[in-house]
Amino acid sequence: MIRYALRRILLTVPLVLVAAFLVFTAGRLAPGDPVAARLGQEYDPVAAAALRRQMGLDRPLVVQFAAYLAAVARFDFGESLITPGRRVSAIVADHLPVSLRLTTLAILLAGGVGLALGVAGAVRAGGALDRTLQLLILGALSVPNFVVAALLVLLFGVWWGVLPVAGLYHGWRSLVLPVVVLAIPPTAYITRVVRASMVQALREDYVRTARSKGLREARVVLAHALRNAALPIVTQVGLSFGYALTGAFVVELIFNVPGLARVGVEAILQRDYTVIQSVVLVYMGIFIAVNLLVDLSYALLDPRVRY
Amino acid sequence: MYRTVVILLAVTAIVVVGASATAAPAAGVLRLWMPGDAYSLDPAVASDFTTAIASKVMHLTLVRTDSRGRILPMGARSWTTSGGGLVYTFELDPRARFHNGRPVTAADWKWSFDRLANPETKAGAAAAVLGGVVGFDAVRRGDTTSLAGIRVVGPLRLQIALRPEGRGGFLNRLTHYAAAVLNREEVESGGPTWFERTSAGAGPFRLVRWERNAKFVFEGHAGFVYGSPRTRDFEMLIVPSAATRLNLYEAGELHATDVPLTDYRRVAQDPRYRDELRVFPRAQVLWLGLNPEAYPPFRDRRVRQAVAMAIDRDRIARTVFFGFYTPAGAFVPPQVSGALAAVEPAYRAYPYDPQRAKQLLAEAGVAGRLPPLELPNNPAAPDYQMAAEAVAAMLKEHLGMDVRVLRQEHAAWSTGLVRREFPALLAGWTAAYLDYGYYLDLLLDSRSGLNFTNYKNPEFDRLIDQANAARSDEEREAVYRRAERLALADAHVIPLVFTRFAHLVKPQLKGYEGSPLNLGISEFWGLALSR
Repeated sequence: MIRYALRRILLTVPLVLVAAFLVFTAGRLAPGDPVAARLGQEYDPVAAAALRRQMGLDRPLVVQFAAYLAAVARFDFGESLITPGRRVSAIVADHLPVSLRLTTLAILLAGGVGLALGVAGAVRAGGALDRTLQLLILGALSVPNFVVAALLVLLFGVWWGVLPVAGLYHGWRSLVLPVVVLAIPPTAYITRVVRASMVQALREDYVRTARSKGLREARVVLAHALRNAALPIVTQVGLSFGYALTGAFVVELIFNVPGLARVGVEAILQRDYTVIQSVVLVYMGIFIAVNLLVDLSYALLDPRVRY
Repeated sequence: MYRTVVILLAVTAIVVVGASATAAPAAGVLRLWMPGDAYSLDPAVASDFTTAIASKVMHLTLVRTDSRGRILPMGARSWTTSGGGLVYTFELDPRARFHNGRPVTAADWKWSFDRLANPETKAGAAAAVLGGVVGFDAVRRGDTTSLAGIRVVGPLRLQIALRPEGRGGFLNRLTHYAAAVLNREEVESGGPTWFERTSAGAGPFRLVRWERNAKFVFEGHAGFVYGSPRTRDFEMLIVPSAATRLNLYEAGELHATDVPLTDYRRVAQDPRYRDELRVFPRAQVLWLGLNPEAYPPFRDRRVRQAVAMAIDRDRIARTVFFGFYTPAGAFVPPQVSGALAAVEPAYRAYPYDPQRAKQLLAEAGVAGRLPPLELPNNPAAPDYQMAAEAVAAMLKEHLGMDVRVLRQEHAAWSTGLVRREFPALLAGWTAAYLDYGYYLDLLLDSRSGLNFTNYKNPEFDRLIDQANAARSDEEREAVYRRAERLALADAHVIPLVFTRFAHLVKPQLKGYEGSPLNLGISEFWGLALSR
């Protein structure tokens, strides 16, 4: 398994390089210039050329990219181009924990609720509960999260005043709405996959055998059917983590959460190249790590899987 | 089976709630807003609203203006002039203390002004604040690091000598947030980002904590010149979205907020806010700029005049801004002393006259032949887009011009602006201090870095020099009015509307004085929460 993990990690290197290069070039090809943003009213062509040279932005793109990779290899992510003196590593250290907390909580919530609803739907497949769940899933996947966010803020924050409307100023209560909004689509996906896997598993012979042995229904469903239906569910949870990471870009803005996704959006608006690149690298790293963990977990869940 | 499902849901809820538990903030804290996070908290390098406001909270200037633009003592308790009005001698207030408790001396002021002028500080406002001081040019050239015109003549006495041609509006300039005193030891020992580690000011509040992108936490400073602020614990939440700020206010999490234009009518009609809504003038003009360097037809004055006459600013104010903003016939808002808009409120360089506008285009030989025009607008607020859409529709209707309103991201907007690439632009200008020069010198003088429309008229520049060399305020204002008339006649900049602030203020927040500057709040030390 260790060899497999190492091979998977090595395979991600070209992926990371290509993605990093795309981000690197795309940012620089977009209209807008960090030199102009930094100089503001002091802008003149001579001063801009001098600052561009100082920042290394006058060199060919490939040279800049090579220098960037060399620095990253030394864990030097550089300095923000817009706020001089501010290290990008400090920006990531300040804001990543907030985003990770938000995303992890959303996945915990989505995983727990999705599992429970999916199992409930599968056990009563075709029944009233199942049909209601299908309708709810359709709604959850159809309504954009910014609409849901606005509605929940209005109801729980402004009208009823039971939850904070934005920011992280009230401890755990501040996280309820952003976590719920972020968790809605993954919950729908997980519920759907759990239900489908469980419906299939519950028709298998070993389930009938377990029932015929007189086992309690809960044990049949959870210990026999669910365990055998686990692989697609775990895959979906891993994919959902990626969804939640990207969903956080919108949710952090709407709920004024000071996470790395919001910092990334602001860096894009300011063309703060070094920050943009690092945010993308960090998110890519997390995404790859989660997917690797999901792959490795297959062996734990299913003894037939060998690496 | 269902019991199992319920248990699973309950466990999920407990895990999520438990993992998200953190300490709640203390109650009884005054809470206002910031429109974004700061790039820096160094008042010298500030060019954004957030740093400007933070400077007003944390720092001390020699003098200040009240909401009516009157100059009042602050770091200096009095001053005299000599040498034909060119030498100011400030008697410093002995009560002033830095946040670490050390008394503020004349040497601190001298060092702070020298630092502001030094090109290595990269202070965008250096010339606006200190351009008239003797020796400023030598410091900018790098010949010296000490402003010859600023002398320490006693521990609490500071003398500032001005060049005759740069004397105008000096006290107004000193109210700028960049003209603050800093604690030299704290700044020099703190490195380039000293403001992250220490509170080096002498203003009403000391920075306790800066939670990036979340909030600033301040504490009242007992060594402030006016005594301890009326509120001890003060937080400014960083909330970039105006709609979110309004939500926070409505949910009782902010004690005051600005009201976005798009929500104004709803709020104004809501009986809950009858006693909380405050509307007051803002020293801001929304204007259309025409750049002949980027759009050759604008080199012909008649084409620019035609554009000016095809725009019905009364209609824009009445319909687009539902009468909340007022039509602007002049460029400088009436809150500025001696402004044309205050002296002659009915002044119009080019009244709305679409027939004459068509004639002018025909005389210029470009009727029906003008190339498409892009009209970018400031993405910071919806006001600009709303005005731009109206202008584009009027130019299309009356002149047949194909005007494309361009909505851009902030980076693209600011880049095009400072590079002067936009053929036309719709922007606003808000004063950081109430002075004619803050509008005309900065935006329209051909030597200014902020002359976004490439306006060049030697006669205008000469009038600006003459205004800044004027011996009295009355004379200076009269010359500025001539310069403003000239610029308006040239029609490079076409004023559209003067704006206003709408703020909501909770009844328990006392001492909230609206200001026409920046974001509308300034005298933070007088704010208090009643029980």
